[in-house]
Amino acid sequence: MGDAVTPGVSVPSWAGVALSVLLVALAAGLAYSQRLGLTRPLLVASARAGVQLVAVGVVLLVLFKHAGLWGALGWVVVMVAVGGQVAGRHGRGVPLARVAATVGIAAGTGLTLGALLVLRIVATAPRVVIPVGGMIVLGALQATGLALQRVRDNAQQARPQIEARLCLGLSAREAFVPYQRAALRTALLPAIDSTKVVGLISLPGAMTGLILAGVDPLTAIRYQIVVMYMLLAATALAALITARLAEHALFDHAQRLIPLTGTRTS
Amino acid sequence: MAARGFTVEAVTVRRGGAALLDSITVDIAAEACTAVVGPSGAGKSTLLRVLNRLEEPVTGRVCWQGTPLPDMDAPALRRRIGLVAQQPVLLAERVLDELWVGQPRLSGQAAEELLDRVGLAETFAGRRSAELSGGQAQRVCLARALAVEPDVLLLDEPTTGLDAVNASVVEDVIRGFVSAGGTVVVASHDATLVARVAHQVVLLDGGRLVTVGLPTDIASWGMR
Repeated sequence: MGDAVTPGVSVPSWAGVALSVLLVALAAGLAYSQRLGLTRPLLVASARAGVQLVAVGVVLLVLFKHAGLWGALGWVVVMVAVGGQVAGRHGRGVPLARVAATVGIAAGTGLTLGALLVLRIVATAPRVVIPVGGMIVLGALQATGLALQRVRDNAQQARPQIEARLCLGLSAREAFVPYQRAALRTALLPAIDSTKVVGLISLPGAMTGLILAGVDPLTAIRYQIVVMYMLLAATALAALITARLAEHALFDHAQRLIPLTGTRTS
Repeated sequence: MAARGFTVEAVTVRRGGAALLDSITVDIAAEACTAVVGPSGAGKSTLLRVLNRLEEPVTGRVCWQGTPLPDMDAPALRRRIGLVAQQPVLLAERVLDELWVGQPRLSGQAAEELLDRVGLAETFAGRRSAELSGGQAQRVCLARALAVEPDVLLLDEPTTGLDAVNASVVEDVIRGFVSAGGTVVVASHDATLVARVAHQVVLLDGGRLVTVGLPTDIASWGMR
């Protein structure tokens, strides 16, 4: 395994990583002494995180060295597919919820990442495309999951209101539009809120990573600004498209709200 | 001869394996008031929902003036065939906004006339919907359906929760609507309402059609 480090950047050695396990032992010891019943989960989570990160590090190392742009984009496609499956679970009961989520995440990611690459705002190297793509997919995943959940819940809870609107001759889209808007507001508020407080309450990941890598803060914020703006665009696009597809699936050919039998997800 | 209205042919509606309507065949005249009566669970509300396509039969078909309902654009059909549900469902902040949901171009004067028609003073236009009593909300829902100017009104238990005075207002609305050439189908337990406004009565029980008769027959069916 390579141990290449950017000159001037201080990173822990493998020995340092091994020593940091002592901190896990400290946490486990505290949990044990306080009889929290969390000693085992804490140790398992720590071991799992270590194994996962080593595995991801190996995969990324291979991708960065050998994949090229197309390989990196292929990896982003895999992330989109996984994200669609995860977000789609929140819409249980909505027909084709996973398809809607996957299409939404794909559209949000594709358009945003595509724009960044075509306009040469970010480099086309896999070491840039994969992490940036990951951030976009994660943001889009969270927004589409929330949008699907709210669309489904609104359709269940507001059935009498939706049917009353249908009975006045409104189309399915017109009848559902207030509930669609509420779902989109819920889906987009976290992204908007985190944009509002960026740098004040939280030091965001991209900026923190660059600062740790030795980049000066004024350069790091340029990256972070791009990241925040792309996340806003990706979440808005993904949530909107997913909610629209879900709404389409909730009404049948006679513009009736279909029965929803799915159970809630937590 | 009665004008051609709804033709319901061998309509069956199922939900969760249970037949809510079981092979119902009945003609419902246009420009008249037809009452659908029967015990709870008889299928009265389901029949009304079938008539404006909120419910789809698994077998059989429904025609309005000779045209099968599936051949008509659903929103256009529901503008022509309005349904007022048993439980009043309010949709907007103020009463005037309620009337605008289905008819955004309704003038203030037309809105006041509609409110007057359902026995509500014109001052109700500015009232908050959340402050209405159940009976007032029921009548606002009726006015909201009338605002769309439908050809047919499907009314599900329209006098539930109304006192005698306001129930007679609803009767007047039904009579006025029919005398203006409209068609009303009303599902009701209210024998007084049925006796006063219906031209034809359809008796359902357990999702099946028992008989079709006149309002004068209902006493012999055990309905009071």
